[in-house]
Amino acid sequence: MSPADSPAGGAAAGDVPLAVELRGITKRFPGVVANGDIELRVRRGEVHAIVGENGAGKSTLMKTLYGEHRPDEGEILVDGRPVQFRSPADAIAAGIGMVHQHFMLADNFTVLENVILGSEPTKRGRLDRAGARRRIEEISERYNLGLRPDALVEDLGVGDRQRVEIAKVLYRDARILILDEPTAVLVPQEVDELFGNLAELKREGLTVIFISHKLDEVRRVADSITVIRRGTTVGTADPRTTTAKQLAELMVGAELPTPETRESTVRDTPVLQLVDVTVSDESRRPVVDDVTLTVREGEVVGIAGVEGNGQAELVDAIMGLRPLAAGSVLLGGEDVTAWSTRARREAGVGFIPEDRHRQGMLLDAPLWENRILGHQTRPPAVKGPLIDRRGARADTARIMREYDVRAPGPDTLAVALSGGNQQKLIVGREMSARPRLLVAAHPTRGVDVGAQSVIWELLKDARAEGLGIVLISADLDELIGLSDTLHVMLRGRLVATLDPRRVTPEELGGHMTGARSTAGAA
Amino acid sequence: MSGVVRRVGLSLLGPVLAVLVALVISALVIALIGQDPLEAFRVMTDLGQSPSQQVQSIVVILNRAVPLFLAGLAVAVAFRMGLFNIGVEGQYRLATVLAAAAGAAVALPGPLHVLLIVVVAMAVGALWAGIVGVLKVTRGVSEVISSIMLNFIALGLASFLLTGPLRGSPPGASIITTAEIPESGRVPSLNGLLTALGLAEPRSGLYGFLLVAVVVGVVVAVLLTRTRFGFDLRATGLSPSAATASGVDARGMVVKTMLISGAIAGLVGLPDLLGSQYDYGTEFTAGLGFLGIAVALLGRSAPVGIALAALLFAFLDRAALPLQFADIPSSVVTIIQGTIVLAVVVANEIARRLALRSAERAGASAGPSPQTGGDDGAPPPTAPDGGQRVHTGVPGDQQGAQA
Ligand SMILES: Nc1ncnc2c1ncn2[C@@H]1O[C@H](COP(=O)(O)OP(=O)(O)OP(=O)(O)O)[C@@H](O)[C@H]1O
Ligand SMILES: [Mg+2]
Repeated sequence: MSPADSPAGGAAAGDVPLAVELRGITKRFPGVVANGDIELRVRRGEVHAIVGENGAGKSTLMKTLYGEHRPDEGEILVDGRPVQFRSPADAIAAGIGMVHQHFMLADNFTVLENVILGSEPTKRGRLDRAGARRRIEEISERYNLGLRPDALVEDLGVGDRQRVEIAKVLYRDARILILDEPTAVLVPQEVDELFGNLAELKREGLTVIFISHKLDEVRRVADSITVIRRGTTVGTADPRTTTAKQLAELMVGAELPTPETRESTVRDTPVLQLVDVTVSDESRRPVVDDVTLTVREGEVVGIAGVEGNGQAELVDAIMGLRPLAAGSVLLGGEDVTAWSTRARREAGVGFIPEDRHRQGMLLDAPLWENRILGHQTRPPAVKGPLIDRRGARADTARIMREYDVRAPGPDTLAVALSGGNQQKLIVGREMSARPRLLVAAHPTRGVDVGAQSVIWELLKDARAEGLGIVLISADLDELIGLSDTLHVMLRGRLVATLDPRRVTPEELGGHMTGARSTAGAA
Repeated sequence: MSGVVRRVGLSLLGPVLAVLVALVISALVIALIGQDPLEAFRVMTDLGQSPSQQVQSIVVILNRAVPLFLAGLAVAVAFRMGLFNIGVEGQYRLATVLAAAAGAAVALPGPLHVLLIVVVAMAVGALWAGIVGVLKVTRGVSEVISSIMLNFIALGLASFLLTGPLRGSPPGASIITTAEIPESGRVPSLNGLLTALGLAEPRSGLYGFLLVAVVVGVVVAVLLTRTRFGFDLRATGLSPSAATASGVDARGMVVKTMLISGAIAGLVGLPDLLGSQYDYGTEFTAGLGFLGIAVALLGRSAPVGIALAALLFAFLDRAALPLQFADIPSSVVTIIQGTIVLAVVVANEIARRLALRSAERAGASAGPSPQTGGDDGAPPPTAPDGGQRVHTGVPGDQQGAQA
């Protein structure tokens, strides 16, 4: 580890110029200095990771580099030359591409349309669909993205959306790739595949700037690391010599958490029972196929699986967001198959959705209104048929305190929060209603290691008090560490039930891809 | 609180810019047709010499503003949940002809008679708009298309009813109307109030329906911003997927919103019907539904804004006659109104950027304090206008209603 005060910007004699150099970047938002005097030096052909706690200013810095807003102070150098981007179009022209932390896709367009949107290939003045399709298939093949060009983005899960975003940048021939938490919902194998394929491009001079909260992953794929805390660079680290523990300390000044479950708190009473649940897609193909499972009080039931194997649809079925083709859903012994989403929520089901922007918040509304969302029929935010503004504000302030949501106040618009802080607000909101059952999809997606351990502790405490949890996660340590029972989902079916105390992440990974036989272990 | 002041100021910025731009463009147009723009504006703003003329002008403006306000509200309620109700025109015409006929057909004591007419109008408007909602949730028909189609049907149906079963005027009369509503079904004017205030007695009566409109405005404002239902409605407008996940029944919401929007639309014709016309005829005020869309846009879908926008449009409408007297084409008014609508769309976007810029500058002048974790009393980030929200394509301005 060395402090980030290394001098001599630009190129030392004989050296190739740095692919990206940011000097003294400062960016302020009302009440917040998102970036204060940041230094970043990225060499050509390396994978450069940026780590830091939630709200540290990582996304803001990357948006500055991508031309989405202009810095208040500071200089941007690309390939050694100072540049001033007035819009992302300028940045793209300079060979910079960015995958945002939150998806920027047009839902009602196909994958192909989304990928070419903004750089439509033309042939004699007309859209060259065939050419575009060929290129997309080539990219998909080469980087193992598994894209289906004609699928509607609306119908895709978070993992697939992520891959479309990545393809979009690759399609534009970016030489400098900015990836803002591209792997938050990908399982380890997929991450390895992605970076394995990027390695080839690296040799051709592609530079990758990569943001992640998964420190092990960062150490595996990064060539160098810059740590940001409270809006400014606190140091750089060498991934070969730095442990995840040291990194975590550098980031948040805290210990690296592990989601070890203590003694079992599983009771006998079932909270949720799924009986032969089948969900079909438009073409009547079962996407959730005959799933039967039980969640008891005080039990965490983990569902492992590569994204797109029916987990999202299973969640929808539990929440009443999608009709069942067959089977029934029981909540505390009562058949709720025909209940509306609202009735289920009122009956004590909490919900942390996989895509917080799509299903979890109103971005253009203040935080206190977001506190109400999903809890429109219950105090403290409502009184009878009326909204209790004061109650909602007060409770939002409490959640912000208890869950360390960093924002100026309850009247801040949700869109102004960093991704991790949005997530913490959602977790806080759902836990505040004291649910009987929590359906949690990637509950710690995008939150930093410090907040992650807080959320894990909370889930464990609530579980000890009898909360039943359905846990879906791409983070295998989280799954293994929190779950009392672990199911593996593959092509819509529960193919294995494992004992989380004995299974290793490698074994679990094997089950998830179907490489291992389906013989259950538990 | 300076934060609130700034927010209100910024939300006014767009519309004010739009009006200014419209004035400049109109001035150019007037100059192009060889007239003096300043003279035209002077004529337009001249409310008359004597106090009684001035009061009369104000009454004319208010009487025009009341139906415009109601039409704007009807459109805005649907806007706020991302629905584009273009069918207000048909809804109010059909509602008015039926309400007029119902009012003429019965004899009831005063308040009850009026109440019956109001209920009939609201019910007809709601049902007609409800068709749009039902078509959308059951058949997936875009509300834009179906409400335009239903406009044609409603107008045709209204003239059929007027010339056929509901005709009340003697055969051969040059203007066909329904039968006249008796005294008990009319809404008394507020002129007594004006004279009590020491103002001159105007020639025409100030619509008593003004009070009803104010009540409807307050009810809508409370409904949208203070109730659970309003929250669900706005949430659906902001993000349909998040609203659904939160337990809002999106389909039910579409139908309910269209019913409310239609019920308000049903009221649009009543100020004229019960305040001055007393029957529905071929000459009955037309076009209020379309103007309502412009008014809702200009008023940014918030009741107070809509009231201001309605007053502005009414003020411009009143100017048509004096302009003709001054030998200036009265279509100047239409040009101004048209350019306002165009400019408002553009101006909202400019105002949004300015708001963003000023917010960022405000942040910058706060100085490089260490990053705030908690509440340091800084103003909340100002809400940029939502006019370009992708999934709705219509303004559902958040802050306007809260400020
Ligand atoms: N548009 C905005 N308006 C106001 N404040 C903003 C805006 N965008 C970001 N911020 C603030 O700037 C700070 C940095 O946010 P940023 O999104 O860069 O964090 P981050 O490091 O990416 O965090 P995370 O890991 O949670 O994604 C936060 O305090 C955030 O609230
Ligand atoms: Mg971020």
